[in-house]
Amino acid sequence: MTPILELANVSKRFGGIQAVKDASFSVGQGEILGLIGPNGAGKTTAFNMIAGFFKPDTGTIRLEGKDIAGKKPWEICEAGIGRTFQLSKPFGDLTVVENLMVGGFARNRDRRVNREKAEEMSAFLGMAAKRNIEANNLTAFDRRKLELGRALCTEPKLLLMDEVVAGATPSEAGEMVELVLKVRARGISILIVEHVMKVIMSLSDRVVVLDYGEMIASGPPKEVVSQPAVLKAYFGERYVQSRA
Amino acid sequence: MNTKTIPLERKDVEKTTSLPLRPSSLVAVVVLGVLALVPALVSDSFFIHSLIMILFFAYMSTAWNFVCGYVGQLSLGHTMFSGAGGYCSVLLFTQLGVSPWIGMIFGGFLAAFLSVLIGLPTFRLKGPYFTLTMIACAEILRIWVENTNDFYGIPLKGAEGLVVPSMGDDVWAFQFTSKIPYFYIILIMLAVAIFATRLMERSKLGYCLKAIRGDRDAAEALGINPTRYTTLAFAISAFMTALGGSFYAQFFRYINPERNMGLELSIDMAVMSIIGGQGTVLGPLLGAAILVPIAEAARGTLGGSFLGLHLVIYGLALIACVLYFPKGVIHPLGRFFSRLFGLKETRG
Ligand SMILES: Nc1ncnc2c1ncn2[C@@H]1O[C@H](COP(=O)(O)OP(=O)(O)OP(=O)(O)O)[C@@H](O)[C@H]1O
Ligand SMILES: [Mg+2]
Repeated sequence: MTPILELANVSKRFGGIQAVKDASFSVGQGEILGLIGPNGAGKTTAFNMIAGFFKPDTGTIRLEGKDIAGKKPWEICEAGIGRTFQLSKPFGDLTVVENLMVGGFARNRDRRVNREKAEEMSAFLGMAAKRNIEANNLTAFDRRKLELGRALCTEPKLLLMDEVVAGATPSEAGEMVELVLKVRARGISILIVEHVMKVIMSLSDRVVVLDYGEMIASGPPKEVVSQPAVLKAYFGERYVQSRA
Repeated sequence: MNTKTIPLERKDVEKTTSLPLRPSSLVAVVVLGVLALVPALVSDSFFIHSLIMILFFAYMSTAWNFVCGYVGQLSLGHTMFSGAGGYCSVLLFTQLGVSPWIGMIFGGFLAAFLSVLIGLPTFRLKGPYFTLTMIACAEILRIWVENTNDFYGIPLKGAEGLVVPSMGDDVWAFQFTSKIPYFYIILIMLAVAIFATRLMERSKLGYCLKAIRGDRDAAEALGINPTRYTTLAFAISAFMTALGGSFYAQFFRYINPERNMGLELSIDMAVMSIIGGQGTVLGPLLGAAILVPIAEAARGTLGGSFLGLHLVIYGLALIACVLYFPKGVIHPLGRFFSRLFGLKETRG
């Protein structure tokens, strides 16, 4: 089966910084792929290229075999990729349902249909009771869930999630893990960036590790995190030597 | 998507659908309906004149709000559209004998075209940069017209302005000896503008504009091409503003760059929306109803000795509003009335 998403030799440079260098990896149909790496490794930059916010300097990005590199964000959404942002960006003066409806309009012009769909989505997120609250008045975690729901309302085939449990309590993180699994159960493939190891380990089918923009490892989560190159990237040379 | 339908409590949804109209639509219908009866009850021509002015400013402000209020950009250059519209209909009438009814439509399209030319490069500017660019564009147009007597045979007559020759009572010439026809014309224009705003607010366009106002990047990630929707809304707004400019020219049978293209009218449109409640259907009408009488009174009593006093009053009203009702007077008022009638606020 062709992978849902395939990056081949994708690079991006900002002035003197090579943010992403020759990255090649793919996300299988229905797979949850974890993208990890230390701060500044280039994870968000990779996301932004997939989602159309940056144009890659070189390389191809294929969605179900079709090259989408360099397309505009709204075209990428139309093609079937949804995303969340590392710093959540809710529409503050709109209610939860209105936020979700904006997502729905990407597929359907009918307000009633969208409203119905948004109400269902608010229940799916466990936010039915808060559906008429303005996003400004939500907790940080609810805003993250809202952003996830908003992306889901655009009916993506692939969902990009950037640090969805950053700053969440352990119980909230658990709730998010449940939610992500429920999203996958709907048949949506997921590419997830996450710093919290527990979350990555329990969600990902596979992980890809970036360091200084380069892919240094990939494979099943348990195997990857014990590789010396990965430990070195996270903890430095000394740590690896002392354990050897 | 294979979503399962999850039963929800639908109480507050049902509550509004049990009314024949939503509360804000009901208010609009009642207010406009009562206004329509006024000429039958009051014949004082000064009173009718004042009402026409309120309705005119409410209309202009509603046209401004159509894009600026919903997308959250402060344009202080909207008079370039009213000016373009007004000059277009007057010149078509005086030079070619085209009825102002048709001329104003031409003016509307001219303004919409102008708005696309100016909007495409400027609408991605943020905050003050957009505002300053719009002021600059409008001022360039005004100064150019003020200093141009003749443009390739078109007699613009510079700062002197254009007079519409009197034709007596002539519907085709958009001229009436009584003020009452003008009253009904502007009332209908306002009703249509309010209805258009209401339609827009609940359509895909409205949601897109509000999303762009909320966060441009997030909007783009949700499939919205900001240029496309802001340009469309800007063109509609310019079209409506231009019709207002033509109305003004016909009502006074006179048009000049200062009044029809000047900064003051732009400020009027913006301030009335902001004080009434920008990004709401009835905010501009409320703002005009509050500010126009105050400004008229100030001009009437102290105007001779203290020119521009109404602008000082606008400034004070704006400060008070920003401090106490940052989203406009319509929000606390709406809450007050919904509590009074025991209605739950519903939105969306
Ligand atoms: N718009 C930009 N302009 C210039 N440099 C940038 C830009 N975006 C990212 N960078 C740089 O590119 C590198 C990779 O950044 P990126 O945000 O992709 O890292 P990350 O892996 O997401 O890190 P974190 O875990 O902290 O979110 C960093 O050195 C960053 O400073
Ligand atoms: Mg990041």
